[in-house]
Amino acid sequence: MKTVSGTNRYALKESRIGLLLAVPALIVFSLVVLYPFVNSIIMSFTDRSLLRRGFSWVGIQNYVKIFSDPNFPQVLKNTAVFVLLGTLLPFFGGLIWAILLNQSFRSSGILRGITLVCWIIPSTAIGFIWMWIFHGHYGILNHIFITLGISSQNIVWLGRPDTALYSVVAAKTWQTLPFAMAFILGALQAVNLETIESARIDGAGNLRVFWYVVLPEIQNVLTMLILLMVIGSIQHFDLLWVMTEGGPARATTTLSIEVYNKAFLSFRLGEAASVGTIWTGILMVFGYFYLRRKTD
Amino acid sequence: MFDSRPIGFKIFFIVFFVILAIFVFFPLYWMFNTSLKQAADIFDYRFIPRNITLGNFVDVVTNTKVPLFMKNSLIVAGSSCILATFISAYAGYSFSKFKYRGRRLLMLLFLSAQLFPYAILLLTIYQIINFAGLRDSYLSLVLAYITFTLPIGTLTLKNYFDQIPNSIIESGKIDGAGTLRIMHSLIFPISLPGLAVIAIYSFIWAWNDVLYSLTLITSSEKRTLAPGLILTYFGEFQSSWNSMMTAAILVSIPVAVIFILSQKMFIQGLTSGAVKG
Repeated sequence: MKTVSGTNRYALKESRIGLLLAVPALIVFSLVVLYPFVNSIIMSFTDRSLLRRGFSWVGIQNYVKIFSDPNFPQVLKNTAVFVLLGTLLPFFGGLIWAILLNQSFRSSGILRGITLVCWIIPSTAIGFIWMWIFHGHYGILNHIFITLGISSQNIVWLGRPDTALYSVVAAKTWQTLPFAMAFILGALQAVNLETIESARIDGAGNLRVFWYVVLPEIQNVLTMLILLMVIGSIQHFDLLWVMTEGGPARATTTLSIEVYNKAFLSFRLGEAASVGTIWTGILMVFGYFYLRRKTD
Repeated sequence: MFDSRPIGFKIFFIVFFVILAIFVFFPLYWMFNTSLKQAADIFDYRFIPRNITLGNFVDVVTNTKVPLFMKNSLIVAGSSCILATFISAYAGYSFSKFKYRGRRLLMLLFLSAQLFPYAILLLTIYQIINFAGLRDSYLSLVLAYITFTLPIGTLTLKNYFDQIPNSIIESGKIDGAGTLRIMHSLIFPISLPGLAVIAIYSFIWAWNDVLYSLTLITSSEKRTLAPGLILTYFGEFQSSWNSMMTAAILVSIPVAVIFILSQKMFIQGLTSGAVKG
């Protein structure tokens, strides 16, 4: 009996030490993640502003206002376009690039290395590079297009509502493609080469090998990657802000830009929080699938 | 992996190789190209610049505040990286090697935290920072950046520590070492690749951040890279594209060097997670 209670006391002490180790993380987590999250949602039911102290409860008034705002459908549409293209383009680009660079040929290793470096260039710098490429008067893209006869005059890519969003998507694709490539390359290198060999002996060509052997093996990684990229582009702020600040005429205003504008340019925290809450709701739909895969 | 002999594959390979290589590498090249040009030549589209100069690099380092912004970012990214790595390591170890009530719930909470929009967290973080009188301080950014790394850091390190056999801990206990001692002198040294991944990840994230640094820092002396560059090049040095491209290269160098040096560790840390010996 004595030994049993001895181990119990020991176990209790052990678990207490375990909890203590997590305490710094829990304090910081509560302070900078959990409390802000809950508080911001609560704030969406108030008229809190950055310009004055105090606030009053306004119920769902902020939400009513947002949904009757004629500009809001455009924000949703911009976000949808940005997320859809900003996921699919880097995904397929990264997939093909990974397949090409996985074929070992001279310098494939170096090309992989340089591609990865693009990924860690700060967003501000990436924004600068693409603003220069898309420059309305002296940009190299206009120069190439005019030289090749694709267009007859300069296009102010980032200054036109019909081209601005797609231009930022191009920069976003450039930023994310290396990440997709690295992810997929890892999966490709784990594919069992013997299965491929035996399929080939059975007369399967490249397409069949890809479709029936490679794809089933990397399918899970691809799904995870797509979820991560969707979540990432719904969250994306940097390039949209650096390159166009949500303009021209709100053509590149997505949910993240909208929250920022409402809070820090119009100072209406309550309204910003309601947009944020709607945004969180959308994110959670994808988040659910992500969490389900992660916890499996 | 694929048979490169069929003509179909050759066409596929060449077409996409050309498209993707241009897309991926040309912007990089154009950045270098422009940074080596004199102001008078930047509207010259020659593939190899006419008068190559390193003058832009001298100019950005001596005449702009970019070095100051880099120093500020180094302070903030460095501190948040050290802090986040240690806190995540303790919590990850706790989640991995101890059983207590609420542990699974906490882990799920950490996991879902990756899904909270950063902008919505910022609304309240901004108020907390104001309330605590920390606005326009490095500390405000250090604290805010932990939101990026802590959840994913803790869970990654938990998985990493899961791979470490309990026998190592038991042997430490037999030698009379306490939990802290076991962590610091037994577990952390053999987990260096895992710890490095989290440290690098949090450093790069802090170095690259736009949203938080734009909001929480207000004085020009304390500005970090992103707001510093934006205000410099959309203000005083507007349209100095050669200078902008030079600054873009300069601010990328630190993270690129860290990344290249640690690539092996990074990949090892992410994939294997196993401990040898």
